[in-house]
Amino acid sequence: MLNAPPTDDLEATLLRAMRLSNPELSRFEPLRRIISHDDFSRGHCGWSQLVGNYEDTLDSMLPGYAQHTSAMLSTLGHWDAGSHGGVDSSYALKIATRPRPGAQNVAIKRLAMRERGPIRFEAYVTFKPEATELKLGDTDVRSFGFLFDLQGGDRDHGVERVMPHMRFLNAGNGKHVQKWQFKSQLSEMRKLGDTDKTATHYHLAPDGWEDLPNGDQRLCYNEIATKVNWNYIRFDFDLADMRATSFRCNDREFDISGFEPMRIPAMKNLWCMLNFCFFAETDVAKRAFLYVDSVCISGDF
Amino acid sequence: MLPENITAILARNETWTGEAATEPYEAGWAREAVLFVRALKTPVGRQPEAVIEISPDGMRWLPEGSTLTMPAEKDGLAVARITHFGNWLRLRTQMPDGAATTVLVTLHLKA
Repeated sequence: MLNAPPTDDLEATLLRAMRLSNPELSRFEPLRRIISHDDFSRGHCGWSQLVGNYEDTLDSMLPGYAQHTSAMLSTLGHWDAGSHGGVDSSYALKIATRPRPGAQNVAIKRLAMRERGPIRFEAYVTFKPEATELKLGDTDVRSFGFLFDLQGGDRDHGVERVMPHMRFLNAGNGKHVQKWQFKSQLSEMRKLGDTDKTATHYHLAPDGWEDLPNGDQRLCYNEIATKVNWNYIRFDFDLADMRATSFRCNDREFDISGFEPMRIPAMKNLWCMLNFCFFAETDVAKRAFLYVDSVCISGDF
Repeated sequence: MLPENITAILARNETWTGEAATEPYEAGWAREAVLFVRALKTPVGRQPEAVIEISPDGMRWLPEGSTLTMPAEKDGLAVARITHFGNWLRLRTQMPDGAATTVLVTLHLKA
């Protein structure tokens, strides 16, 4: 990295010791610089509702975005067992869909990049359907996942808007699928208004997802709809060549040599954009909940 | 540390007819809430009362006691101030036959 001081052995040793002895950071493996560390015991930590683009009227917002609502802070309070709580605090970020098949919701953190190099996205997450029935409900949540929305700087060569998407397809039409998928296929880009400055596309449309090779994984769903277990996810991406470099969930490290992000021509207002999203999707007429206990985003600079 | 304070958008550009309610919102960390309703378009027909509801589980609802009258004009505002609500909040109303309104419902929470 151009501006990064050389990492010497003493710094590496100190960083490692300090992070391992800090209970809040010890469960993460951040790169040299922590860009953000959110545990949701200090509020929403900059994770807001993904609102769709519009011009002149809100009616111009695509339906995919219009359905989104604000994320909330939850103790995972259940009707039968009370508050479940997070990994080590009472609160988690909760992303809830509406109760209709295919409904989605997205929370987003919007930053800008300082350096074009490796970044790491780590989180502890879990998902459940709303416990409206005394049933397991393990095929009610269609998917949950995360995506980045990235664009290089205004002086870079050959800049594209790049959007890596990864989801855990839990179920579809009542079938328990349980596999990781990525999406590189583009949705239609529509212009908004008459100034030629704003456009919109619903990149989470349900079609166009591809299987990650050997991406099947059975997660700990537990045995009723109100018991949850926190899963660790880690996704590495290199902002220099805009490629994914590694993906892990719990004990499994996946081969992502076939992973491709969406690539779109650079847009007029998005220079150095560094956005991160979590999303949830229900397969049935029941709310799907994605809970995020904590997120650590770090970079090698 | 400053106390937490969050604005949440519960409904944006939703057209309400018949039985209508916002999605459930969890706010157990907050001591007080102010909920605003703004009519984004000219409402149609008589605009009814709406009630704040609370819940033990986000699925079963009771009136909290606060009410507001849905705005009768475009860009009209209505407000309800709420305290002592436990965890779950929503706004519910019953639009009369033939009545409709397109709303922005915002919730302002403070620890």
